[in-house]
Amino acid sequence: MTDVVEAKDLSKWYGQVLGLNGFTASFGSGITGLVGPNGAGKSTLFKLLIGQLHSDKGELRLLGEDPWNNVGLKHRIGYCPEHNQLYGWMTATRFVETLLRLDGMPAADARAKAAAALELVGLTSAKDRPLRTYSRGMRQRAKLAQALAHEPEILILDEPLSGADPVGRVQILKTIAGFARDGGHVLMSTHVLYEIERITENIVLIHNGKGIASGNLHAIRALIDKHPHAVRIATPTPRDLAKALASMDHVVSLEVPEPDVLVVRTRQPDAFYRELPGIVADGRLDVRGLESPDDSLEAVFRYLVG
Amino acid sequence: MAFADDLKRAPVVMALTLRYLLGTRRVIAMGLLAGVPVLLTGSLALAGVATFDILLFQSLMIPLFLQVVLIFVTLVNATTLIREEIEDNTLPYLLTRPISKPAVVGAKYAGYLAAVLILLVPPVVGAYVITEAYEGVALSTDADVLAGFLATTVLGSAAYGALFLFISVIVRKPLAVGLLIGFVWESIAGAIPGNLPKLSLIHYLRSILKGTIEVGPLSGFVTDVSAPLAVAVLVGATASLLIAAMLVFQQSEFRQKA
Repeated sequence: MTDVVEAKDLSKWYGQVLGLNGFTASFGSGITGLVGPNGAGKSTLFKLLIGQLHSDKGELRLLGEDPWNNVGLKHRIGYCPEHNQLYGWMTATRFVETLLRLDGMPAADARAKAAAALELVGLTSAKDRPLRTYSRGMRQRAKLAQALAHEPEILILDEPLSGADPVGRVQILKTIAGFARDGGHVLMSTHVLYEIERITENIVLIHNGKGIASGNLHAIRALIDKHPHAVRIATPTPRDLAKALASMDHVVSLEVPEPDVLVVRTRQPDAFYRELPGIVADGRLDVRGLESPDDSLEAVFRYLVG
Repeated sequence: MAFADDLKRAPVVMALTLRYLLGTRRVIAMGLLAGVPVLLTGSLALAGVATFDILLFQSLMIPLFLQVVLIFVTLVNATTLIREEIEDNTLPYLLTRPISKPAVVGAKYAGYLAAVLILLVPPVVGAYVITEAYEGVALSTDADVLAGFLATTVLGSAAYGALFLFISVIVRKPLAVGLLIGFVWESIAGAIPGNLPKLSLIHYLRSILKGTIEVGPLSGFVTDVSAPLAVAVLVGATASLLIAAMLVFQQSEFRQKA
């Protein structure tokens, strides 16, 4: 079976700026998370997928078709852009209804479908309010409603959780999961790995316009874990602490860059964080603060690309 | 099949455009500007100006309505159609629906034309009615004047709209370019001897007025373009510019604004 998305050596330049750089990846059915830091090329890939941009090089297929100026493909796609701009002067009902009419739906059906979609994303009580009065989280849900109201085969969601409040996040994730459970495909981007962990294990990592890893989340996690994870520990006795930590077999290096700082590199961060409190307590050591410069996804990507 | 689908969906885009141009606050400013002929003729009538007649009406309408109000209203509304959607990042909502890009342009243009005619035609008729009523003559007395101004309003709205729409799909700051073309080029070209005025739309609009109005300030306007030819040129220019806008838009890429 053909993959939902197939990209081969895909490149896109914006003048001198590189949007995608020989991106190659295939996304199968279900939910796929496209994870990468800001500016990695996620939105460029999505705009190529919805036919808003044309690639400079390489091949791209969405549901087996070339998306550029492919009108016939569009009713199979539901797209949720990254930006929160909407037709602020419209109510949510009118917004979704109008876009459904553009899918060729009769007015009465469009009205019913719009109401159903807005209910699905939890906006029924606000459906007749102008969109300009919506919070960022509500806008995200309105965007999601218009993307799925016409029952597309694939949802392409560009940072759908960005700016959403906790309740909105749950609602959005629930809606996405439900769509996938009913047989739909979802391609969702985020720059926060943990956001996507909750609904899928299929991840594609993108950095500097290149696909740097893809597959099962656990496999990627293992890949990430092969690279030493740095922990910066504030302590008045870094050498004593270093002596105690040296016995941990997953610790690959210990460094004292400042008189009251110890930097530890470990191949098993989970084990390190689990064992550290015991070692500190047993040795009666003084640890005043912990921070990991590797917490950000950017750092993980830097490891993966060497 | 695809064309039939576009035709079916185009009215939705047209209605969306109409609602935006006439249903949002922007219509207040546009309405006030478009209403200038009525405000002016109404003021003249209220002031009891002795020389206020159909000749004065024409003398005021040509420089004021044709060369200012018409150009400004068409410029502001036509450049909004595509460029504002790009600037506001709302264009993806339309472009991810099963309607072709040229059909989006065509439908937006149709919505624009309907909106500007709703804004511009009633004030022209209203100003004419006020003038004839003030003179105390039957409304049909100077029907040629009304016909001439209605024709130029419709054809001018169509042609300037297509021109400004085309500009808006090829440049990022269409309003500035449109102001230059609408108020500088259109004014200067008409004053240059030879065939250069034929490169301005206003030349053909004036030619229509000269050809349809028996007595008026344009009696001395020199043109070898008959009214029917002027109509044909304006219709041709409108169609060409609109098709060009569709073709450019079809091949355009859209980066989201940061």
